[in-house]
Amino acid sequence: MSAVIQPAKAPGTADTPRETSGTRLAVRRFLRNRLAVAGLGVVLFFVLFCFVGPLVYSTDQTHTALDQVNLAPSGTHWLGTDAVGHDELGRLMYGGKVSLIVGLAAGALATVIGTLWGAVAGYAGGWIDAVMMRIVDAGIAIPALFILLVVSAITTPGLPGLILILGLVSWLVPSRLIRAETLTLKNRDYVLTLRAIGGTHARAILRHILPNSVSTIIVATTFQIADAILLVAYVSYLGLGVQPPATDWGGMLSAGLTAAYSGYWWLILPPGLAIILVVWAFNAIGDGLRDAFDVRGRG
Amino acid sequence: MTATQASAAPAAEPILELDDLDVVFTTESSKVPAVRGVSLQVRPGETLALVGESGSGKSTVALAAMGLLAGNARATGRAVIDGTDIVGADEAGLAALRGRTVSMVFQEPATALDPLTRIGKQIAEVIRNHGDVSAKDAAARAVDLLRRVGIPEPEKRAAAYPFQLSGGQRQRVVIAMAIANDPALLIADEPTTALDVTVQAEILDLLRRLAAETRTGVLLVTHNMGVVADFADRVAVMYQGRIVETGTVEDVLLRPSHDYTRRLLAAVPRLSVAEPDGRAPAGDPRPDDGSGGGDATAPVVELRDISVVFGRGKRAVHALDGVSLVVRPGETLGLVGESGSGKSTAARVALGLIPPTSGTVSLFGADLARTRSRARRALRSGIGVVLQDPVAALDARMTVGECVAEPLRVHRRGLSAQERRGRVEAVLDRVRLPRDIVRRAPGELSGGQRQRVSLARALVLEPRLLVADEPTSALDVSVQESVLKVITELQDELGFACLFVSHDLAVVQQFARRVAVMRAGRIEEQGLTGETLLHPETDYTRRLLAAVPVPDPVVQRGRRAERLATLAAGRTGAEA
Amino acid sequence: MSTPSYLIRRVLQAVAVIVIVTIVVFGLLHALPGGPARGILGPQATAQQIARFNHEQGLDQSLPVQYLHYLNQLLHGDLGTSYTLNAPVSRLIGERLPKTLVLTVLSLVIGLLLAIPLGMWQAVRRNRPADYVITTLSLIAYSTPVYFLGLILVLVFSQVLPWFPSQAPQGQSLAQVFSEPQALVLPVATGAASMVAVFSRYMRAATLENLSEDYVRTARAGGSRYGAILRRHVFRNSLTPVISMLGYYLPVLFGGALVVEQLFNYPGMGLLFWSAAQASDYPVLLGCVLVIAVATVVGTLLADIVQRIIDPRVKAGRA
Repeated sequence: MSAVIQPAKAPGTADTPRETSGTRLAVRRFLRNRLAVAGLGVVLFFVLFCFVGPLVYSTDQTHTALDQVNLAPSGTHWLGTDAVGHDELGRLMYGGKVSLIVGLAAGALATVIGTLWGAVAGYAGGWIDAVMMRIVDAGIAIPALFILLVVSAITTPGLPGLILILGLVSWLVPSRLIRAETLTLKNRDYVLTLRAIGGTHARAILRHILPNSVSTIIVATTFQIADAILLVAYVSYLGLGVQPPATDWGGMLSAGLTAAYSGYWWLILPPGLAIILVVWAFNAIGDGLRDAFDVRGRG
Repeated sequence: MTATQASAAPAAEPILELDDLDVVFTTESSKVPAVRGVSLQVRPGETLALVGESGSGKSTVALAAMGLLAGNARATGRAVIDGTDIVGADEAGLAALRGRTVSMVFQEPATALDPLTRIGKQIAEVIRNHGDVSAKDAAARAVDLLRRVGIPEPEKRAAAYPFQLSGGQRQRVVIAMAIANDPALLIADEPTTALDVTVQAEILDLLRRLAAETRTGVLLVTHNMGVVADFADRVAVMYQGRIVETGTVEDVLLRPSHDYTRRLLAAVPRLSVAEPDGRAPAGDPRPDDGSGGGDATAPVVELRDISVVFGRGKRAVHALDGVSLVVRPGETLGLVGESGSGKSTAARVALGLIPPTSGTVSLFGADLARTRSRARRALRSGIGVVLQDPVAALDARMTVGECVAEPLRVHRRGLSAQERRGRVEAVLDRVRLPRDIVRRAPGELSGGQRQRVSLARALVLEPRLLVADEPTSALDVSVQESVLKVITELQDELGFACLFVSHDLAVVQQFARRVAVMRAGRIEEQGLTGETLLHPETDYTRRLLAAVPVPDPVVQRGRRAERLATLAAGRTGAEA
Repeated sequence: MSTPSYLIRRVLQAVAVIVIVTIVVFGLLHALPGGPARGILGPQATAQQIARFNHEQGLDQSLPVQYLHYLNQLLHGDLGTSYTLNAPVSRLIGERLPKTLVLTVLSLVIGLLLAIPLGMWQAVRRNRPADYVITTLSLIAYSTPVYFLGLILVLVFSQVLPWFPSQAPQGQSLAQVFSEPQALVLPVATGAASMVAVFSRYMRAATLENLSEDYVRTARAGGSRYGAILRRHVFRNSLTPVISMLGYYLPVLFGGALVVEQLFNYPGMGLLFWSAAQASDYPVLLGCVLVIAVATVVGTLLADIVQRIIDPRVKAGRA
């Protein structure tokens, strides 16, 4: 039966001083969440793996080696080679760099756009809010993958273009979150007090609403990065990704798809698992941050 | 147990017996003892009030007696209900007991009921938990119960969802669930705290009647001494997890023996009431020292014929309807009323936070609607604001120093950092907070300290008008007393005018020179506090005053009889 | 708010959203390199040919006029003609949309039937090993690209264990799709697995929130057993937010169908879209986007209405 019972705050906090500050408490809560800490470890590992790894384990990722294609893992090629003779482990580092950079940048971009849009809509209210949110509704009604495919039919973007496009299709969900947050914050007593004594809107937004949205924004960014890395994988699968000889994990995975039926497992499992691990890690960190900050976020 | 108990109820065996009960909470950082060695008894037909301030552990005792403690709480000792020890009982045993032998009424009627289940069904569920009753019979009994707790048209209302009922009606439904199986013991945890004072009186009448009908023992948990005086036979006073004093209601409230009880009772604001023969009451309201201007001086704020309408068409809500108010320099105007009366809306209109649909607001002689934004902002530097919720009042991301300095940053931009620090320290001295508090975070402060920080922020610009919206309602009485004292002293010293919004008539009577009573968006009557609250002109104000329970069991008994007689007369009058 | 006026307002909102979508689609159509003419006539067309085409098609008129013309066409069900398949886009979509709906609805229903009890069960066993294991598994499933998940399923259940075909049913009509039920298993399983991952998370969170509500304590104080409280109260209260999520989840669902159809070669709208993208068949691409956006808006509307039926508070405009 103890299962129904929720832990409660100790009674009597109303007029007894609390001893710990919010941020320190949040950090402590986060560190106690084992899944979140594991996620942090995974992210750190992959950052080292992709950015420091090539210095230790150096491979040729520009020239094809058609005399040694689709080799099984061995002492010389720890994870074998791919269809044009690239060392698969080296390629995993090389492609991971692209996946991580695009994912982080696109996730951050989406959160920035979403935060500004949501904050303006929520703070302005009225018809401005209504129009801005209908635009968000319309954007959400068109699945991102469809937009990306249409774009791929029109043009083949470079890396910055890819980041921009991914950012532009994924800011909608964070904008909703931040709008909801702004709606609550703008009616907080300290904002009302400021406005009653003649404080400006700018001050209310910059000094109160944005600083108090920080935890929500951080949590949103983490989930957004997870989503962006996943989206990068789809994008390459759909043929919009970075062009050869450059690659990313999604590109490696889709290149290895046909090989999978021939039993070349080393061409799909490593990039597949890498995507899953990194995306899982960012989601676990996001879950941990959300619980630690005690903010509302996804699921 | 003490000797007073044995004499109070000699015959029957106690229905509830707590013996050396301890409850410890495990929090993220430590183990907090909430209840320490509490022993008490409730006998059939008697009401024991467990009183104390927040954090005293009184609600934890109630939950422990129901076996409803949170998962991180551990109880030791004994809590025996009708022969069963609740501490250590298994869940099946507890379920068999709850709702049949012992029931509970909770503080918050807004959330106590399942929002998606019709109320008749929720009552029927309790009935069917404890007897082989058909759904149809249970539904019929649920309708009977709704009638017993005074819900009009019970057949129809049984099909209503909780959101379709008012707060008072919801609490009646919770009570109906509690009495569904005629329990021997009823535990009521602050059953009227969330309700308006007139509704509180009705709910207390209902509980008293039901308990008397079935000789149910009642454990009443409350912080309100008036409610204790109105309802309890015996009182146990809790302080820091322990019971410090137990006795009959007359003994504890009129002749308290423990020092804490005496201090607590001294802090309770008492409503002065006119004696039946019309002579002046014993306790005098705040005297009019004449320092405030007479009617001749120009008002600091004036609301003229203000109406506020939210929404349009059929769903429009008239929050204010033709409200006119004046606050003159140096005086305090108390704005009282029940929830939904529009008192907070009126304060917000005065603050310029809500634009009136019609009517004019003038602040320091200037019409707010006609001033331009820059000039209007300058005008507003003459206002200080303190709102109700001590937690929401301060931005948790700022330090106390930054919070207090914010008005200076808005209106005195020329100040150097050092001058600013000087002003902040000076105003903290005034509200009697230590200077080193500036570096603390609001989250580290107690509720009373936070309200003083809000007050410091409100006064740092030396305003001509302080608008205080229920500034002490979230505080314990002892803290409320000290905060009100600070405001009074500073007002004498600095001479600002004050618009003081409160639901608490006793507080307003002590604090305000003039009072305006609001009801449903209109001003019912206004005048000098000493006259209006002693000899009200309207029926509504009379009813409002009559519903306030005073913390003296003898006086309160007389007031209750008088109020019920008036009600009965009104009813027969209406029927005739 | 009364039901009719609520409906009117919601429908007006939905119409506004669809109008914005048509503007986006129209904008995309004109953002094409060289405009629609270059797309239709091909890269070899001369400037003269393009000018004549633009005049014939009314493309030399001002943009607002063209947009109104485009809207008029849409209202008559005219989504243009496919460049490559030489057929009206509306007919092409009409043939394939039902198949996609079959796939998505099957995945959705099966996914929800698994996710809802699973999420509740996790909430009940909160912070115990079983909850940790399932939470981690569902988060892993959530983090897996759908095509990789499908690939693994194919490798295991079609290659290693020859239980199901790796190709979806290829029939033209709906009846033919159902004539090969075993071929539907892997595509539906792939779609359902990602549903379970998402909705078990929502259901777990919603159930946890409701378990800490006051009404649970009231029910316990009335002597109700834990199981009964879950069944009678917590279940319904937790389900309402999940249903409202459902409407917003439709676009993701269609996105998933795109990948699943491509992976299993299922002849639905996703595959049509995919091949149109390969062939730069813009009328088909934009027609599909429009249809899916409209389907999403209508689906969201339906979810709101269902929620109104379940939750009396929404009806009163209080929630």
